[in-house]
Amino acid sequence: MNCAECRDNLVAWAEGCLAPEDSRQCQAHLEHCAGCSAEFAVIQRLQQELTASGRLGTQVSVVDSVMRRVRQEPRKHERSSVMSRIVTRWGFGLGAAAGATAVVILLLLAVPRTQGRASEIMARSARAMAKLSSVHLKGLLRTTPGDNFSAIMPDQPFTTVELWKQFTPLKWRAEKTGRIAVMDGQSSVLFIKPDFALKGPASSSAFDTQWLHQMADLSETLTWELSAIKAHGWPVTLSQGSGPDGKAKSTITVEAQSGLSDGDYLQNKFFTTANTRRVYVFDDESELLESVKVYLVGAPDDGLIFDLSRIDYNQAIDPGVFQLQLPANVSWEQPMQVLPDNQKYASMTPEQAARTFLEACSREDWVEAGKFQTITESFKQDRGGLQLISIGKSFTSALSLISGARFVPYEVKYKDGNVVKWNLSLKKDEATGRWYVDGGI
Amino acid sequence: MEMTDKTCVERCRDGHPDDFSLLVERYQKPLFAYVARRLGDPLEAEEAVQESFVRAFVSLKALRKPESFHSWLVGIAARILKEQFRSDQRRQRDQQFADLVLEPKPAGPSGIFLEEAIAALPETYRQVILLRYYEGLSCQELATRLEMPLGTVTKTLSRAYALLRQELRSRDCAEVPCNFKSSL
Repeated sequence: MNCAECRDNLVAWAEGCLAPEDSRQCQAHLEHCAGCSAEFAVIQRLQQELTASGRLGTQVSVVDSVMRRVRQEPRKHERSSVMSRIVTRWGFGLGAAAGATAVVILLLLAVPRTQGRASEIMARSARAMAKLSSVHLKGLLRTTPGDNFSAIMPDQPFTTVELWKQFTPLKWRAEKTGRIAVMDGQSSVLFIKPDFALKGPASSSAFDTQWLHQMADLSETLTWELSAIKAHGWPVTLSQGSGPDGKAKSTITVEAQSGLSDGDYLQNKFFTTANTRRVYVFDDESELLESVKVYLVGAPDDGLIFDLSRIDYNQAIDPGVFQLQLPANVSWEQPMQVLPDNQKYASMTPEQAARTFLEACSREDWVEAGKFQTITESFKQDRGGLQLISIGKSFTSALSLISGARFVPYEVKYKDGNVVKWNLSLKKDEATGRWYVDGGI
Repeated sequence: MEMTDKTCVERCRDGHPDDFSLLVERYQKPLFAYVARRLGDPLEAEEAVQESFVRAFVSLKALRKPESFHSWLVGIAARILKEQFRSDQRRQRDQQFADLVLEPKPAGPSGIFLEEAIAALPETYRQVILLRYYEGLSCQELATRLEMPLGTVTKTLSRAYALLRQELRSRDCAEVPCNFKSSL
């Protein structure tokens, strides 16, 4: 064994991982080579330091104490009682196996062996899906057509939601009736019908489409699901049997909660803040995900809010799918600028900002209203001339700690006579220090 | 299949704050070692570690590179230590040590920068070091956990050592000789 070979094998030798003959040769070389011996001594020294540091680290266990304090932070910072606990709970339910025959419940509720079996199936599927070239998802979601991609509204009828995803090079398009988001490899654009658009850098997910991407890219989804299951001890149910097509299927159920307290404003409003039971059914032969159903816990009827029954793998996607045609009158989102009288707006309370914005809409002062959000022609038509009835006291969600959002209750009467009571979502722009409208109108 | 730091941070920001516990679990040990070396008192060190994580959580939205969570966390801990030494009466009894923390310099064979250097490693190499030394996994167990051949594990470990030595060298200060690092 020469010096280069010896140094290549030093760590393996020090760890006792070399084959006996290689180990003997390495040792023999070290006995007569001062340079390699010195190198080995340095590695040993570093290993000793690492071992000492590692040993010191074993004295600590602060996960519970940190998480207790983390849960209390919103109260300290926001002086609000909105956050009583932070527990995240997700679910993969059994419902999608409807029609399946001879379903055998193997193990129920947080049995380590169930987690192990579920992990194997998920990991297998993740590996199978990692080899895909494209995915097309088409599902039904209870929401309003024009609202946020991740918004959930259990009392609304189902709306079609689709995702086309090409993995190499990465491009995607998410679409529902009132919105289209496209990432063409260069940038990400969101078009909110009829006339508003915003642009950002190329991203693997954007504009609240992350939950859809997670279903299309199971290798990522299952990684965090498995980690979360392990970390939080979520109950897992695994069932196996044959499906309507006679093929073997595996269904995994994990009971969970959203992460927010029952009284939290954002509880059950978005995919990421909802108490859900998710149903993932895998085809045992192809190892691919076959269907997904998501149930909202505590919702009317059976609580089904998302039904993903069509998943196309490796089908060629027309390049035109990743091109977005925008109408000529589209208004692009305008970045916030520092105003000559910026301080006046920066020092506003959320309530003052909401009042200023809504009163500007009322008198159709679009320059003033434009200081809080980009104003489109359709917005002028729909919201112009509104009558402000009342403004309430602002409040926060537990997530405000991270998002910075404040919610201001308001009641307005629109020109068409429709009276609306809702909550304006305001966030502070970091560069200007001013509030901007992030939603709720 | 471990959730990356980036994914954990993004998950926390996207409404799953409980996933922060994964980051606490992952980094509590190296952070404790880093803090305890400086404070000497395990109870004080544990408090500082808790405080570091809580401050990190509160400031998560300000983290520009989620993949650099670990080194960012160590930076937060370093600031807490500075605050603590500034306000601590012990500073008068142990000015030399306080100065060391206020103006960090290499500290010889005890490897005071070791945990900072670990935090600066690329995620692949950091993960191997953390699992090997802070979780106590053998190379064979690492191979099973990371689904890698044993040879790949030892090569990765070898590369991680090389990067650590390089990182420690880069932190060397000419005015304070460091026997340990000069030998690297």
